[in-house]
Amino acid sequence: MGYTGFVIANLLRNKLRSALTGSAIALAVLLVCLLLTMPAGLDALLTSVASDTRVGVINKSGLVFWMPYSLMRKIRALDDVADAVGMVWFGGAFEEQGKVTFPSFAVEVEHIPSTYPDYKLAPEAVAAFNRYRDGVIVGRQTMRKYGWKVGDRVTLRSNVWNVNLDLRIVGEIPRDTSPIVWINREYLDEAIKAQGGAGLGIVMIVWVRVPSPDRVNSVMLRIDELTRNTDYETTSQTEKTFFSNFLGSLQGFLQILLMVTALVSLCIVFIAANTASMAVRERAGEIGVLRAIGFRRRVIFSMLLAETVVLSWSAGAVGVGLAWVVTTSLKRLGGSIAALGPLGGFSVTPAVILQGLVLSLAIGIFAGFAPAYGAARRPVADTLREVF
Amino acid sequence: MTVESASAARSLILLSHVSRLYRRGVDEIHALEDCSLRVEQGRFVAFMGPSGSGKSTLLNLVSGIDRPTSGEVWVAGQELNQLTEDELARWRARHVGLIFQFFNLVPVLSARDNVALPLLLTHFSRSERQRRAEIALRVVGLEQRLQHLPRILSGGEQQRVAIARALVSDPDLIVADEPTGDLDARNAEGVLGLLRQLSAEFGKTIVMVTHDPRALRFVDEVFHLDKGVLLEGEEAERAGAAMRVAAGGGLMGEASPTRSPGRALPPRA
Repeated sequence: MGYTGFVIANLLRNKLRSALTGSAIALAVLLVCLLLTMPAGLDALLTSVASDTRVGVINKSGLVFWMPYSLMRKIRALDDVADAVGMVWFGGAFEEQGKVTFPSFAVEVEHIPSTYPDYKLAPEAVAAFNRYRDGVIVGRQTMRKYGWKVGDRVTLRSNVWNVNLDLRIVGEIPRDTSPIVWINREYLDEAIKAQGGAGLGIVMIVWVRVPSPDRVNSVMLRIDELTRNTDYETTSQTEKTFFSNFLGSLQGFLQILLMVTALVSLCIVFIAANTASMAVRERAGEIGVLRAIGFRRRVIFSMLLAETVVLSWSAGAVGVGLAWVVTTSLKRLGGSIAALGPLGGFSVTPAVILQGLVLSLAIGIFAGFAPAYGAARRPVADTLREVF
Repeated sequence: MTVESASAARSLILLSHVSRLYRRGVDEIHALEDCSLRVEQGRFVAFMGPSGSGKSTLLNLVSGIDRPTSGEVWVAGQELNQLTEDELARWRARHVGLIFQFFNLVPVLSARDNVALPLLLTHFSRSERQRRAEIALRVVGLEQRLQHLPRILSGGEQQRVAIARALVSDPDLIVADEPTGDLDARNAEGVLGLLRQLSAEFGKTIVMVTHDPRALRFVDEVFHLDKGVLLEGEEAERAGAAMRVAAGGGLMGEASPTRSPGRALPPRA
């Protein structure tokens, strides 16, 4: 038996206590690692779903304010605009659920393929979307969530337009994380008129495809210039900026979660320190004997500190491993369980592994330092006199 | 060379006018007062006296666990006062083997690993540490108990493991604090016999604190203490006689015919 064996033997002395302390540390490290994957995961998600050659145009006053449909013609007439599609929020709720659980828009069917070439819609889906006025294209995530397949018929009730639409699924947006549902604008227009309404004369968001990224800024400026001094002044952003603004509030939430987790980690340090203190107190006699038979202060200090560091680091490694297992499993399940949404896109990177291990090391050092220092500093005669 | 160092060269232990004072708040406790004594190499001596007489304090000073408030402590040619805390620890590891009343083995280590503990402080390889620990356990008659944990050993066996641990680094001095205090009569006799054997056969100097009158039959010398003072002359004789009576011998000391009261050094002029 060497020093390592002695340290491990001491760690296994009270297996339940070591296991409970280790579990607390592993859980804290797991939480931190999972949270650390989120900013990078969201960024990767954004990069994968958003294009930097597509521009979103909305009313400057906000997303819920509309713009006249005539704006579409003006935008398409601008130089460097490959195509544009106007969308109106449909707010479709699946009958059985009764509430909106996925984003649904009425779109100009004929402009979808050229505005979204990166979506790689199946040609037969595009053809069917053009052919059937009640046709609908559904994102893969929503398809999987409800077990829908091409050819199914679904009825969506709008929470905006007071119409129920009986729809035929004609295709899928082949992206695992896409929940979007596109319905035919003309079909919605007819339905509204059939209810005695005036029909759709508006758009709520316009997506504009620009041939190359270096022309995006100029196009955005010219679109916003088009609407200056009107009662529907617009603001234009790239798709990536548009979505990152949406995620901005989530980033703030993540910051708060990280702060809470930091506090939890601090609590774990105190718990581990208390455990280490108890262990040292229980073994005061033994430590006194070791000092008496010649173990120097620094050796005692190192051995006691090593116990908490080994425990904490091992638990941290377990926590990091669990984080990896969780994210890997989510990634695998993400393909089949649509409800996981963006969680399926997160992964434990080497940087996250390193941060988790450093955190567990820090917990071990902070938790073990004071008890180990106190035990090592104590005069051996005092310890022996008190204990025996 | 001082008188003390010259004497120390001939003696394994030399205490010269040693006092130990403890302060508890405003109170001062004189645990040991002006104590001088000498123990020759290879002797088996006992410190005896009632509780609070200063026996354990004296033992701690001799073993380098504690430092005197005044006076000099020489052991194996080294004045212990001159050593720093770390040097003292190193010195203890090399020169002193310790035995405690409650054995104080590490409960999660086998008998062999317990015995090998002091060797962690040496440069011996793992196999050499194990070999030496096995030899020490053979000396105390526990070669069949190498892998046993302390909790499955009897009290007497645990104390034998503790003796093997004290012996394994081949120290000049073995210090035992009430080694029979937690043992029954049979095991106590066995442990005392073993210590006697270590002194006689291996030439180990053994200093033992004990209340056990049986010890008189095994030791070479007895130092009697009372209220922090080393008894001398008639006082020491009286204390010794009382002990011999308690041990079952007569006033003439039949129980320990070859033993003599310890010889204290003359007081400082």
